[in-house]
Amino acid sequence: MKYKTQKIAYWFFAAAMGLLALQIVYGFIMGFARIGMDGLHPWIPFNTARAVHTNLLVVWLLCGFMGSAYFIIPEESGRDLEWPVLAWIQLISLLVVGVIAVGCYHFNIWEGRKFLEIPRPLDYLVVVNVLMFLANIGVTLWKGTHPTTTALVLYMGLLFAALLYLPGMIQEDNQTVDSFYRWWVVHLWVEGVWELIMGGILCFLLIKLTGVDREVIEKWLYIIVGLTFLSGILGTGHHYYFIGTPRYWLVVGGIFSALEPLAFLGMAVFAIAMSRKGGRRHPNRIALTWSLGCAVMSFVGAGFLGMAHTLPSINRFTHGTLITAMHGHMAFWGAYAMIVLAMIAYALPLLTGRRLWDTPAANWAFWTSNIGMTAMTGALAVAGITQVNLERRIGLDFMAVQHEIEMHFVGFLLAAALFTIGIGLFLYTFWRHGLPSQEAMAPESAPDTLAADLAPEAR
Amino acid sequence: MLSKSQARTFFLGGTGVFAAIFLALTVDSMKRIPALTHADQLTESVVRGKRLWEANNCMGCHTLFGEGAYYAPELTQVVERRGKPWIRLFLKDPEKMFPGERRMVNYRFTDAQTEDVIAFLDWCGHVNLQGFPPKPPLRDLLRPAAVTASGTAASQPELFRTICIACHSVGGVGGVVGPALDEVYRRKTRDEMLVWIADPQKLKPGTPMPVIEMTDAQRAEIVDYLLDLAGRTPPPANGRPTPKTPAEVYE
Repeated sequence: MKYKTQKIAYWFFAAAMGLLALQIVYGFIMGFARIGMDGLHPWIPFNTARAVHTNLLVVWLLCGFMGSAYFIIPEESGRDLEWPVLAWIQLISLLVVGVIAVGCYHFNIWEGRKFLEIPRPLDYLVVVNVLMFLANIGVTLWKGTHPTTTALVLYMGLLFAALLYLPGMIQEDNQTVDSFYRWWVVHLWVEGVWELIMGGILCFLLIKLTGVDREVIEKWLYIIVGLTFLSGILGTGHHYYFIGTPRYWLVVGGIFSALEPLAFLGMAVFAIAMSRKGGRRHPNRIALTWSLGCAVMSFVGAGFLGMAHTLPSINRFTHGTLITAMHGHMAFWGAYAMIVLAMIAYALPLLTGRRLWDTPAANWAFWTSNIGMTAMTGALAVAGITQVNLERRIGLDFMAVQHEIEMHFVGFLLAAALFTIGIGLFLYTFWRHGLPSQEAMAPESAPDTLAADLAPEAR
Repeated sequence: MLSKSQARTFFLGGTGVFAAIFLALTVDSMKRIPALTHADQLTESVVRGKRLWEANNCMGCHTLFGEGAYYAPELTQVVERRGKPWIRLFLKDPEKMFPGERRMVNYRFTDAQTEDVIAFLDWCGHVNLQGFPPKPPLRDLLRPAAVTASGTAASQPELFRTICIACHSVGGVGGVVGPALDEVYRRKTRDEMLVWIADPQKLKPGTPMPVIEMTDAQRAEIVDYLLDLAGRTPPPANGRPTPKTPAEVYE
């Protein structure tokens, strides 16, 4: 840690970890409901569990992104954060809004649109919160030394994420129009600007961890985020196939969403190539493992599994089935959960001054959670394919098919248990690091200087 | 190889061009959506139904236009599939219609609210969804021709086709909550069937089968249809019995 105010990142990461744990609890509630064990139904019906599960995912990822930004932006701008107190206010208010929203879901109070469930009055509070965040890192960046590409891409990603939240607040009477703009938020976030954030964080990590020249890495960052927008913007069309929009979206969405894996493939190839080139000399091996894992799993989950059902002729049968849940799980894990975990694995030793970078628990956490998530995706894939064939192609009754695929959810829950063990180990490692300390500020204990010695950066 | 500034130009230029195309297509879509969705039929009742749909987060379990949570059935064209009487009955007490099955919250809609929800779903059912949901392409391949004759919806009485079929099946089409009715004529006489439908509890106390309000004539029509299956349904192929349903196992 070079600047005292970077410390706030630790608390954003800690909040993210708590919300992740809660997200998993609600995931289990849904998993058990699917095998008929729905004893919690009177208090937590499926739609509540589902809204909490997905909303907590978004909030903990945003917490992770914000924490990453509070760590990266001062470092890249060469100065302390402009308003450290504002960052604290922002964290606390974000958590308060989150808790109120989750509470509302348990009392059947919501906006009730998939992924945008939070009651509308809370939307405005989120907007204010995000404005505080953007102002804080924006001014820090502005007043700093010449802004780096990595910092700019990260900032742009966060800024556009905030702007694209607004179309989701339009109230519409026509279900088709409603859905049309809802995807501006959901799709353009996860298959657009969030990839900018992910790319920015990944670049920062690769620069720090591999020691490859900044100019080389940042050039590739431009190409990859360029590919993301080239395919991702018109790729929004794959959500417009069957919701009452003109037929040309089948063509536009089909072609451009088929190109979307390219950006992820580029990211994976680039990350692996850079780590080879740099020779992996940084002692924080586990952070590099998470970074490379993120690049690879995001290609498999978001790129490949997305491609598997994005063509209109296939999507006609898979649209609205568990195939989407299959893709969703590994895509979010690979692209966004793993980049946040990679950032945490990198930043924690620097924030706390404890060099726990290659412990057995940290390695087990990586492998167990990834194998668990892969198995979960496999179970959902088998359930989804069976559902598509029986319900959509043969025409059996919805519930008859749900009974047929129940056993796959037993497998899914076992895989989820394995995944949870992995996350548990990650949380254990997080806890072992202890709190951020002043000693981490001392230059000799700051491991980053080690990396800097090994590979001087070209600024 | 590209220089960094060329890479930046590629990023900014590409993003600009494709964002502009996207915005142009959005403007065009907004012009065409009213016709595709019959926006002129967006009555106040439909809009109230939509608000109810959102206020109770129905998408948190169901899907509509294929969007939602995959825990409960797709509701696009549900009005066409089940009919309004069935939906009215179902919404009064969802768990009663599917006893022992996956549960749905009873939202205690007033009659007016129920009509609004139905109006909304009915409106959604008429939106041009470019061929979604697709007709199951393998259904006809898998059904023997003889069964098709009696199983087709066309030959079924209106109430049977919209209400009974939600739980019972004929010719392999229908729900799995109650037993298949292909061979019910072997198990029950005409009079037994009439009493059973009118008041299931009288014949078997504790049965989950609900009382469906209907006229005597409608009841007779359904019983006639079920008895008529005797002449049309061939014995099960290869002597295999019809598959056991959860309800049968329970018995």
